[in-house]
Amino acid sequence: MEEQIQNLRNQAIARIMALASTEEVEEAKLEYLGRSGKINEVTRQIPSLEPERRSVVGQLINDAREAIEQALIAQITEIKNKTDKNKWFDPTIPGNKPQIGHLHLVTQAIEEISSIFREIGFSRARYPEVEWDWYAFESLNMPHDHPARDEWETFFLDTPENPKLGKMVLTPHTSNGQVREMERVTNPPAGGPPIRMINIAKCYRRQSDVSHVPMFHQFEGLVVDRGISIVHLKGTLDYFARRFFGSERKTRLRPYHFQFTEPSFEVDISCGVCLGRGCKLCKSGWLELGGAGMVHPNVLKAGNIDSTKYSGFAFGWGVERTHMMKSGLKMEDIRTLYSSDLRYLRQF
Amino acid sequence: MDILIPDSWLKDYLKTTAKPEKIAECLSLCGPSVEKVTPLRQGSVGGKDALYSIEVTTNRVDSAGVYGIAREAAAILPRFKVKAEFLPIKIKNIQRLAQRVEWLDVQVDHNLCLRFSAVLIRDVKLAPSPKLIQERLTAVGVRPINNVVDISNYLMHELGQPVHTFDYDKIGIYDKILGAKMILRSSKKGEKVTTLDGKSHDLPGGDIVIEDSKGRLIDLCGIMGGENSAVDEETHNVLLFVQTYTGKNIRRTSMALAARSEAASLFEKGLDPELVEQTIRRGIDLFVEICKGNPEKEILDLYPSPYEPKIVKTDLNFINERLGIYVSTSQVESYLAPLGFVTSVQGDALNITVPSWRAQDVDIPEDIVEEVARIYGYHNLPSRVMEGQIPDPLPDTPFSFEKKIKEALQSWGGIEVYTFSMVAKDKADLTGSASWVLKLKNPLGADSEYMRLSLAPSLVDAALQNRGESAPFHLFELANVYLPVRANLPEERMIAAGIFANTEFAQAKGTLEALFEILKSKVILTTQDGKGFAPHHRIAIRAGREELGQFGKLQLSGHWYWEIDIEALRKVSSITHSFKPLPKYPPQVEDLSLVILPRVHLGEVIEAIYKSDSQVMSVELKDSYENTRTLRVSYQNPDKTLTDREVEVIRNKVLKILEKKFGVKLKT
Repeated sequence: MEEQIQNLRNQAIARIMALASTEEVEEAKLEYLGRSGKINEVTRQIPSLEPERRSVVGQLINDAREAIEQALIAQITEIKNKTDKNKWFDPTIPGNKPQIGHLHLVTQAIEEISSIFREIGFSRARYPEVEWDWYAFESLNMPHDHPARDEWETFFLDTPENPKLGKMVLTPHTSNGQVREMERVTNPPAGGPPIRMINIAKCYRRQSDVSHVPMFHQFEGLVVDRGISIVHLKGTLDYFARRFFGSERKTRLRPYHFQFTEPSFEVDISCGVCLGRGCKLCKSGWLELGGAGMVHPNVLKAGNIDSTKYSGFAFGWGVERTHMMKSGLKMEDIRTLYSSDLRYLRQF
Repeated sequence: MDILIPDSWLKDYLKTTAKPEKIAECLSLCGPSVEKVTPLRQGSVGGKDALYSIEVTTNRVDSAGVYGIAREAAAILPRFKVKAEFLPIKIKNIQRLAQRVEWLDVQVDHNLCLRFSAVLIRDVKLAPSPKLIQERLTAVGVRPINNVVDISNYLMHELGQPVHTFDYDKIGIYDKILGAKMILRSSKKGEKVTTLDGKSHDLPGGDIVIEDSKGRLIDLCGIMGGENSAVDEETHNVLLFVQTYTGKNIRRTSMALAARSEAASLFEKGLDPELVEQTIRRGIDLFVEICKGNPEKEILDLYPSPYEPKIVKTDLNFINERLGIYVSTSQVESYLAPLGFVTSVQGDALNITVPSWRAQDVDIPEDIVEEVARIYGYHNLPSRVMEGQIPDPLPDTPFSFEKKIKEALQSWGGIEVYTFSMVAKDKADLTGSASWVLKLKNPLGADSEYMRLSLAPSLVDAALQNRGESAPFHLFELANVYLPVRANLPEERMIAAGIFANTEFAQAKGTLEALFEILKSKVILTTQDGKGFAPHHRIAIRAGREELGQFGKLQLSGHWYWEIDIEALRKVSSITHSFKPLPKYPPQVEDLSLVILPRVHLGEVIEAIYKSDSQVMSVELKDSYENTRTLRVSYQNPDKTLTDREVEVIRNKVLKILEKKFGVKLKT
């Protein structure tokens, strides 16, 4: 019996491999595997065997069936391949594309910026766009009549003033998140600093020309902890610069003045073309990135943080500007960024 | 503010052999930022020269002149191993300071004027200035006029202290016995003054003015002198006037009158009253030298509360902790000394005496840190990310949910736009006539005067901007709308919205349905008419009773539009995946072609099929032709394979319900 099965199997495979057309393969399939095929023929003999041999034979029949099935499949593929060789097909015909969507440049930049800061323990926040004067200016060490306020071309809302918090404004910078974040961590049940915040939000300034959009985005970093120094600020900005702009880039601090930081800095990044040696693009080897500084003790105080125990740093930069500096994107009119023209949007 | 300084002028007070480019680089790294250095080709006198364009920050008005920059440079250059020495100004005259003089009788409100000084210079010879002065003034953008006017400008650019010159003989009626008379006071609202540029001003009140004995206003102090007392060709006797005005008043006046003179921008930042004496003495020297004038023997100087040296207490630990490195007390001392600070050391405690010209700006230990750090050089500090504990992340932020929405819409061909939050009044929402909208007090124009309540009008505009497109497109945006709240900030509600152009209904709606599917949002869609949408063409997106958003055909533009409140959606969505074991038995699937009568909602029919038997697993629209809808229905039982007979029972039950409820019949 076993020998008979073995012979059947060998014979079948040998025959199948010699077949030349798919029709012949189909015939062979019927002959061996069909309802009254040869495999079933031997299967039907199983009940007549002694019980202890049945499972062994059954297994053998199954193996044979599988082997024949495989041989059939292999032979069909083989035959097809042979005939396809002579069949013409043009793979240069253009494909049928799915509709391609686009995320806005600003979204892409925000995503990238926040993910880099996440790597070094910053968490993202989004504080109000319509804000009280207190958070936008006063608590940032900018009293009412201060000339420093001139730099922010501020929009005011036509609403009554709040007796404590002052006028309602469209925040001209994300720095309004500084004291708000300090309040968040000092209000119970939160337990106080440390803070590592990155506040990304819309900002507004009363300017519209080729280099200004009245609505834009900033990202504001704020760190408050014990023993925070200028070295940490440099470390954080360098980390960001290397990850965002490329590992060969460096930042540089220069003295500047902001009311809400002391000391205050202007941050430059080494030019991507000449790497700081100086070239036609950058002239001095460096490009201006934005402002930063060590949080002024008056600001910590406004946020209920003890400035004798804690110190911190902050920086607030334009999302659009930072992104354009990275991509080397040159827009003659920055307002183009906010165009809804599909011909622009599809390039992003 | 930006100032211009010729290199040759700087070198009057700075001894160094450094090239202008080197000086610029060092200053920028440690002090005032030199934006550029441009070569200057001058006439015979100056020879080859260079011009620095320098940005002086508002707190450092002490360096808004040649002299101040020289002092900075002398402190900074040696840190770059460049030899440099500050050359203090040399004064020749020895006039006495007096509180009363016979040639001028004044009454001064010292709340407005911290220090008042003046000197009468007789017999000045008006003429063009010497070439050098003319060249320097031209270089810094000032047109030379005559030696008297030029000296005023020269003094201001050199020392950063504005001065004024009156024609002494025009002030009131000069009285041989009494001399001239002046009252420095606060203006009353509505008083008028004509400044020497010929402009007439209606004063807002609270401005600093000078009245002469005839009761005329002869000076709009700190902004510009009066026309009626100005120096002209006939002038013989000049009153040189150097003051420290209260910055706040100057600022208010110059803002109110939109008169932003250079003098005003210096005064408003708060000048050092000690600078007054230096300036008036330097002025006297120049008048003697250039105008051959004869100064009076005394300088009138009213300075009731002289500057008292200010001391900032700090300690070495504090400085080092903020720097992040170790510097010694002697280093601190050596960095501060050339800037004019005097350090007294007691162990680690430092008592630092602030020079008068820095008193406005240096108050607290952090200010000392800045001075030490910048002279040490920020570029010399190491760079290291803080070690410390990583704070707990903000609980429950929406950012990843928003990202998921954006990415899903993008992957289905959506194109994201950012449109402006400020809109025209009729574009605040879909009704075009919202009654309560936040309004800007100072908008850029009527088209951006209101804070929008809906993204719809902005997205319609965006779609219409692309009228030329014939292919389907979907624009979407995630942005805040601003819902007014009485006596408080508005509620900033994050909305996702989108508009479909050239797109079939089913395509548009399918995008939304797919979004809810991948967000696992438990929402119900019901038909409900609403403002701005075509009748019968609107669906409310709800969770329970709350409406989270809407989808439908816009009445005016005909676009398919949707919007949804993201926070509300997030509450009924789930980012976790649930797992169900696969069914053990195969489903039975069949297509039912149903004849649907007019005014029957297919959605309700499908809903009814689902509800009619728990073994109905799915119902999908397979095909539509005229009033026939072919639905593919699958039946499944978790415990067995349904027989044809069992399916028939369910089907009959379904059809019976449909016929009864909707009059829907199987197509025959």
